[in-house]
Amino acid sequence: MAEKPVTQKAVKKPMKVKEVGFLVFIALMALLPFVLNLITGTGLNEGVTKFWQGQLIAFFIMAVFAMSYDLLIGFGGILSFGHAASFGGGAYAFGLLMKHWAPNFVKENPIMLGNTDLTMLVVLLVVLLVVLLVSVAVGLLFAVTSMRLKGTYFAMITLALSTALFIIIKSTDLHEWTGADEGLHGISLPVWLNPTQNRLTVYFITLAFLCVSYLLLRRFVNSPTGRVIVANRENEDRMRMIGYNPVTYRTIAFVVASIFAGLAGMFFSIWNMSATPTMISAVTTVNALIMTIMGGMGTLIGPIFGAAISQIIQQFFYTWFGARWPLIFGVLFILIVMFLPYGIVGTWRLQKGNLREGWKRLLRLFTTKSEAEAPESGQKPPSM
Amino acid sequence: MNPKTKKLLIGILIAGLLVAAVAGVYAYAGQRAFISTLFSGLTLGSLFFMVAAGLTLIFGLMDVLNFAHGSMFMLGAYIGWQFYTNPTFIFGMAPFLLAFGAGVMVTPIIKPYLIALNISEKLQKALPKIAYVLALAALVFAFVGFDILSVANTAMVAATTTTVGNPLAELSAQEPLSTFWLRPFLMFVSGLLIAVASSRPGDKTQFAPREPIGKKLLMPAALLVLTALSTLVRESASESVLLMNGNLRFALSILLSVAFGFVFGAVIEITLIRPLYVRPTFILLMTLGLSYVIRELVQYLWDPLTYQMSRPPLFAQPGKASSIAEWLQKGSSTIDIYGATVPTYRLFIIALGIAMFILVIFVMTKTRLGMIIRAGVQDPQMVEAMGINVKAVFTVVFAMGVALAALGGIGAAPFLPVQPLMGDTYQTQGLITVVIGGMGSYIGAFVGAMILGMARAFGDYFALKLSLSPAIAEASTVIIMVIVLLTRPQGLFGKKE
Repeated sequence: MAEKPVTQKAVKKPMKVKEVGFLVFIALMALLPFVLNLITGTGLNEGVTKFWQGQLIAFFIMAVFAMSYDLLIGFGGILSFGHAASFGGGAYAFGLLMKHWAPNFVKENPIMLGNTDLTMLVVLLVVLLVVLLVSVAVGLLFAVTSMRLKGTYFAMITLALSTALFIIIKSTDLHEWTGADEGLHGISLPVWLNPTQNRLTVYFITLAFLCVSYLLLRRFVNSPTGRVIVANRENEDRMRMIGYNPVTYRTIAFVVASIFAGLAGMFFSIWNMSATPTMISAVTTVNALIMTIMGGMGTLIGPIFGAAISQIIQQFFYTWFGARWPLIFGVLFILIVMFLPYGIVGTWRLQKGNLREGWKRLLRLFTTKSEAEAPESGQKPPSM
Repeated sequence: MNPKTKKLLIGILIAGLLVAAVAGVYAYAGQRAFISTLFSGLTLGSLFFMVAAGLTLIFGLMDVLNFAHGSMFMLGAYIGWQFYTNPTFIFGMAPFLLAFGAGVMVTPIIKPYLIALNISEKLQKALPKIAYVLALAALVFAFVGFDILSVANTAMVAATTTTVGNPLAELSAQEPLSTFWLRPFLMFVSGLLIAVASSRPGDKTQFAPREPIGKKLLMPAALLVLTALSTLVRESASESVLLMNGNLRFALSILLSVAFGFVFGAVIEITLIRPLYVRPTFILLMTLGLSYVIRELVQYLWDPLTYQMSRPPLFAQPGKASSIAEWLQKGSSTIDIYGATVPTYRLFIIALGIAMFILVIFVMTKTRLGMIIRAGVQDPQMVEAMGINVKAVFTVVFAMGVALAALGGIGAAPFLPVQPLMGDTYQTQGLITVVIGGMGSYIGAFVGAMILGMARAFGDYFALKLSLSPAIAEASTVIIMVIVLLTRPQGLFGKKE
């Protein structure tokens, strides 16, 4: 994997800056719908405000998915093309249960506590549990295959496994359950969780999901286990020498990544009220890969950035460049791979000192002309 | 037990099972169905091999998984199909590309003189950048006002519509030569500027001996002559090509596709892949982005439609031939083989696949280039120490891989619908083939491709006959791959690391 690790450093001072940034992000996101409402005055569940909530919901969910993928590729150094299996698995587990099991259950076994109807809550909890179980199972499946295969071969078998799942999900035999090619549509949701009726609730739930996921993943990455996973990426033989079993830690990485991806898939199917075969295909994995690469591998903020950028690109490139926008996007992607291999966040962290130096020089250039010449020779100009 | 006897026993067991399976299927399906399914399996296998051959060649030497291979397969099909049905685009673009190539090819001539220049360090850094910017400007100016889309889209007939007219009927008048010549000239200037930039003027760390320039002059001179020629004939040539004998035209379009694939591959390797050898994962990502770009470019030029390339006359006449001689004489579209009706174009694809296999084997084992490649797989440093330019060998191998993909593409074009995603399914199957056969092994790629082709064809047959789900045939290749990988992780013919 990448030869220069761009991991988060547990230095004391930048940590503070990061916390502040994180809080500002939460505050901004939480206020955004209300501010937009004030500006446009269309109401919280109408027009532009609603549209932007939708965009941001998709961004929050994809950010978690990209982060979970980064846990594998950036921190674990595992190139998997089957990560969408967890995403789609979670979505389908949720969709199937909510469509085929929940309505009957709610009708037949109402659970009451005093006067309040707790049935839906119980149902959602059960479904959540099943989603978690499915995600863990998918993670374990990939972990087991990774025991025998490495590198390119492993990437290929993950591609094959996800293709196999894709074929199964869209096979016509399962039409009455999964809806085959068209996907699972019309998942019945309680009114308070319905994104068309109560988008603001879904907005805040997904925002909370992103924040909690980020905090949990950051804790995980900086924990001793996370450190071993990173070390495993750097030198597996050495890890084994020291006495850590790489298989155990890889399995942990797979299961954790899979759980977050599965939850993201569940939220995505809530947001779309459907689950489609595309969610399980390699295209979705490649999307997460692109987000991770654009933002910066081996950082947690990177994938969030990448998800935001990719959401913006998907939304605006069509209006800017017409139907052939992926052409521009492809060129952009190639340029990023060629010139910013650590992504936006990674390059920023590497070049921070350089940039600051360049900024100082620029300031000096304007204040006194004679001083500006002196440090010119030694320093390299920033390349950003 | 002795490992050798164990291996032998396993081999006999597998062979026995295989024979039993074939005999069982033959007895069950009957001769006719068996033979026609066999031939469709062979056709699919050939197609898979056409993609897998290039993939495995590239992977074997460079450890690069080329995710743009399917797009290159598709591009080869498009180029050949354009030449076959509507050469306006090819002839319209030829002056530009040839002029640009002529400019770039000047590099080896001017490099020894440019690097010997004594210029300041600042200028040394700035000069290539300035030259690149100027080159880009010249390139843009060369295309200003040139309507690429109208050249590409002249009378394209999508497969969904049935009207087929004279492809050149709608051709709008092109620019007069008095102004057009400026475009190739600007392209030549752009190429020259790139030659200047890439030879790093004044950089004393570079090395280029001053040899007599006679031999080096040949390439740019030839390209310049071709540029002049193609500029002159750019309008009239399309018609004369269309009036040609169809079979000859098809053969020419195959040649053109292969040549284009080779040059395209070489350019991609030098510009995009070479800087990334230090970061192998990023090559994979780069090829992913490249496949996006190629696919979108094709959709931009020819719209996201499905086209049908007509078969060359040798395979097009209605009627069933009873023997190969009769087919060659009449050009029938189907042929009778032991009672089964097989389209003759399938025979051509099978033959093309086998010819490619023999060609690859021949190049790899009997020529000096093949020897160098095989040595390079084992120990690139040692080969370099022997005085062989391994970088150049890498370029040639990548270019060969892309040329094979383009050959497969044009070979398959009359058989498959020509559309921007035509390569993608074959790329996935090709990757699976390579994994089954063992990465870097071309014999493995052939055997793997045939296994997959048979699995698909017979899977489809049984799914239809026993009214099972067609998903089984689709998933069969994946299942075979999983079984192979879990029992023999290095693939059937791969070497253990």
